[in-house]
Amino acid sequence: MLRYIVRRIISLIPVVLLVTVMLFALFKVMPGDPVRMMLNPGLKAEHYQAAYEAMRLKLGLDKSYPEQYVRWITNTLQGELGWSTLENRPVKDAIKEPLKNTVILNIFVIVLELAIALPVGIKCAVKRGKLYDNFWQVFSMFTYAMPSFFVALTLIYTISIKLKLLPPGGMPLTIHGKGFSYYLSWLRYMALPVITLTIISLAGTIRYVRNAMIDALSQDYIRTARSKGLAEKVVIYSHAFRNALIPVSTIVIGAIFSLFAGSPITETAFAWRGIGHVLVKALNNRDFMLAIFMNLFLSMLSITANFVADITYALVDPRIKLE
Amino acid sequence: MDNRRQRDPVLQEKRGVLQSFFAFIKRLFVKEDKKLSVLEEEALQTPAKTVIKNFFRHKLGILGLLGFIAILTFSFLGSKLVPINLSLQETTLRNIRPGYNYLKYPTQLVQEGVKEISSGASFSVGLSQAGNVYVWGTVPTYLLEGFATSVLQVPEEVQKANIVKVSAGDRHILALDDRNQLYCWGLNNFEQATLPSKLQSKLASTPVAQIVGGELYSAVLFADGELFVWGGTMGNRLDIVPLHCQGRITKIAASSNNMALLLDDGTVEVTGIQTVVKQVPEQLQDGSVKVVDIVASYRNAMALDEQGQLYVWGDPEHGMLRIPAYQGQIKALAAGKSNLAVLLDNGQVVIWGDNHYKQLELPEKVQSQPVTQLYCTMFQNYAVHQDGSLSAWGNKGFIFGTDEQGRDLLTRVIHGGRISLTVGAIAVVISVVIALFFGMTAGFFGGMTDNILMRFTDFVMSIPFLPMAITLSAVVRGKVSEMNRIYMMMVIMGFLMWPGLARLVRAQILLEREKDFVLAARALGVRYHNIIVRHILPNIFNLVLVNITLAYAGSLLTEAGLSYLGFGVAPPTPSWGNILQNAQSLAVIEYYWWRWLIPGTFVVLAALCINLVGDALREAMDPRASEK
Repeated sequence: MLRYIVRRIISLIPVVLLVTVMLFALFKVMPGDPVRMMLNPGLKAEHYQAAYEAMRLKLGLDKSYPEQYVRWITNTLQGELGWSTLENRPVKDAIKEPLKNTVILNIFVIVLELAIALPVGIKCAVKRGKLYDNFWQVFSMFTYAMPSFFVALTLIYTISIKLKLLPPGGMPLTIHGKGFSYYLSWLRYMALPVITLTIISLAGTIRYVRNAMIDALSQDYIRTARSKGLAEKVVIYSHAFRNALIPVSTIVIGAIFSLFAGSPITETAFAWRGIGHVLVKALNNRDFMLAIFMNLFLSMLSITANFVADITYALVDPRIKLE
Repeated sequence: MDNRRQRDPVLQEKRGVLQSFFAFIKRLFVKEDKKLSVLEEEALQTPAKTVIKNFFRHKLGILGLLGFIAILTFSFLGSKLVPINLSLQETTLRNIRPGYNYLKYPTQLVQEGVKEISSGASFSVGLSQAGNVYVWGTVPTYLLEGFATSVLQVPEEVQKANIVKVSAGDRHILALDDRNQLYCWGLNNFEQATLPSKLQSKLASTPVAQIVGGELYSAVLFADGELFVWGGTMGNRLDIVPLHCQGRITKIAASSNNMALLLDDGTVEVTGIQTVVKQVPEQLQDGSVKVVDIVASYRNAMALDEQGQLYVWGDPEHGMLRIPAYQGQIKALAAGKSNLAVLLDNGQVVIWGDNHYKQLELPEKVQSQPVTQLYCTMFQNYAVHQDGSLSAWGNKGFIFGTDEQGRDLLTRVIHGGRISLTVGAIAVVISVVIALFFGMTAGFFGGMTDNILMRFTDFVMSIPFLPMAITLSAVVRGKVSEMNRIYMMMVIMGFLMWPGLARLVRAQILLEREKDFVLAARALGVRYHNIIVRHILPNIFNLVLVNITLAYAGSLLTEAGLSYLGFGVAPPTPSWGNILQNAQSLAVIEYYWWRWLIPGTFVVLAALCINLVGDALREAMDPRASEK
């Protein structure tokens, strides 16, 4: 097992290297002069040239590309992520609040999604081909074909504009009260983005759980269990579902990591100040420092998520060969 | 079984795609024809035939295919039939909801006899000889207390009064009754439909000579020659009437930015900001000719003098200054927003200028029968014949409404579909080519090659798709032209989409290459690339085809999402996504629902149809899948 983990880690090295090199390259071709961005524009002309040169040296832009790359990586690892021109503060600070907002949003999405997808997926597998199953098949057919902004716009139009039930977007403010009513306002503002994200991801998860369950139900031990005369409930939940949990565990792991991944389209549609929305805003305002760091963060996140999912899979399913 | 096969092997053999399709149609209405057993299929049909036959047995798949063909025809054939002018914008027609009834006048109006007709952006108002007001067309605004009332809803006091004059502004209507009472309704955002108190007191004492509804403003000319303009005049300063004219005005002709004033000595004065219109020919101002009638279009004006001589000045665009040859005396003048027209005393209509809304295409009846009254305002034109009947031509309306620049949404959705479907398709082709190359090479050769290629696949897979796509798009945005941005989009999407398929292909190849037929091919000395392309590829072709279909739907959604965020296809080139780019604002979502609902629905329908085809293909190729 340890050997497998070590081998997996070694295979990660080229991937991480490629991702960082690519982002560094992006960093180099991005429009705008990074030195000028760091300088005080109010500087007098005679001081400006000297200050420019000094800042160039300070940023290490006179060095060769490999040296600059190493320097960039070291700085990033030490938490010096650059300056966000959009927020006018270090990237490190600028990313905290959107990250918090995204995580809060995604916790609700994941809980809701799993709470619906697991029972529905199981029931669909058990009632395969029946009305219940067909209903969810049609549902997933439609939601698969829907762009997230379309779901968002439809919800805003019907629920917040026509029915006036929920705010159409934005973030809760402290003026919404203290204590309980403040938290309630969070829920109200979050409701529509959470519903949108859940609808978009639900179809895939249901299908995944359903297929895992169908696979489990078609095994020989299920027939054995049934022929023993076990109650259908016991067969489904005790024999089949436990085995279906192995593939399902991967999506749970994936879901935990996706907590941090913002969704640019949905967050923008609802003006929810999460990672995705801030990324869009940063790009629109040519704040590439912030944007590239977000990309770096999200790719490292997905690399880690894949790694952890693989390891967990190997841990929970002894049948997987660790070749 | 044997003798059944012998019964009509020829017939079964010949059964091709078309027959399968007809058989499907037949099955829709008549009872199911006999299925071949698996053995018979094996013996009689090639795999491709089996797949096609199975596909046509799948009703949802057929529905998806027909739907997709319909969308393709709509976009590609449509864009050939309906050309698009990317630089065109007509802000007068901005944000008008779907409607195709601009020219559908009520028959009651004709029965009572037409006295006057005037048109706004998307509606027309008619006054009958009996003094009744009729309004038809589409409401050009959203309705909000204090902001606007529906132009189609004629106020009760107007219905009761005996109206003698009507005039339509772009989004509001003015009506005057026989007791010198003025009524306004419609858009009121600049209070153009609210009577100022100064005007009201003057109305009480002085009779009105002319009322004019302009673009966002209203004007009243009193019989004593005094002109009063109110409403949204900040942009064109039409409310400033030159002092030497005030009290001498006998007739006014209004357009968006200008107003031509006919003075009592027969000279013409032009106010407003459009300078081309202000360059009035000298002889019209020095008193050498006496003008009797004037009209004004958006950037032109036309005057008629006592001798029946026509004068046109302003912008030469659309051939506005080239008066067509005509025979006879001029009886009346008329001007649409981008047209000029004259009515001759023999009942002929001569019209020239822009033809974008088919204003120049006179109906048969107008060409053959004498016309007694001619009304051209905005883009709708009406002619009254001697027998009292009415002919209408010009802008019939917009089936899908218009956007914020007054562009026809139908045209943009058609052309947007062409762009979206093409971008999606090419992105998928790029990704499939890369995926096949990576997957097949890695799977077949294994070892170090596999390792290197798969690490690279891992790398691309770990890139967060949407964030990276918008970042790349933003970085290259400033550096490439608008057309090249569309190519950039295809490349970015293609290069980020392929890893999933590459892994799948590799896994399949790993399965296939262990099979005996590959061993046999190797033993025969077939070259590597031939084994891959000729022997292995056909076996995984099914899988690839299904994945291409599903990836196509995905890439349509991605393109729409990117363009929605403003990182995709750049306007003015339309795509389904960027048409609703402006729908990020709440006002658009709430008041202009057609601007996001219609293009959004097209994206959903296209993706749905493609997914249906993909699902049906999967089941047709692998009957075991449907048992799942």
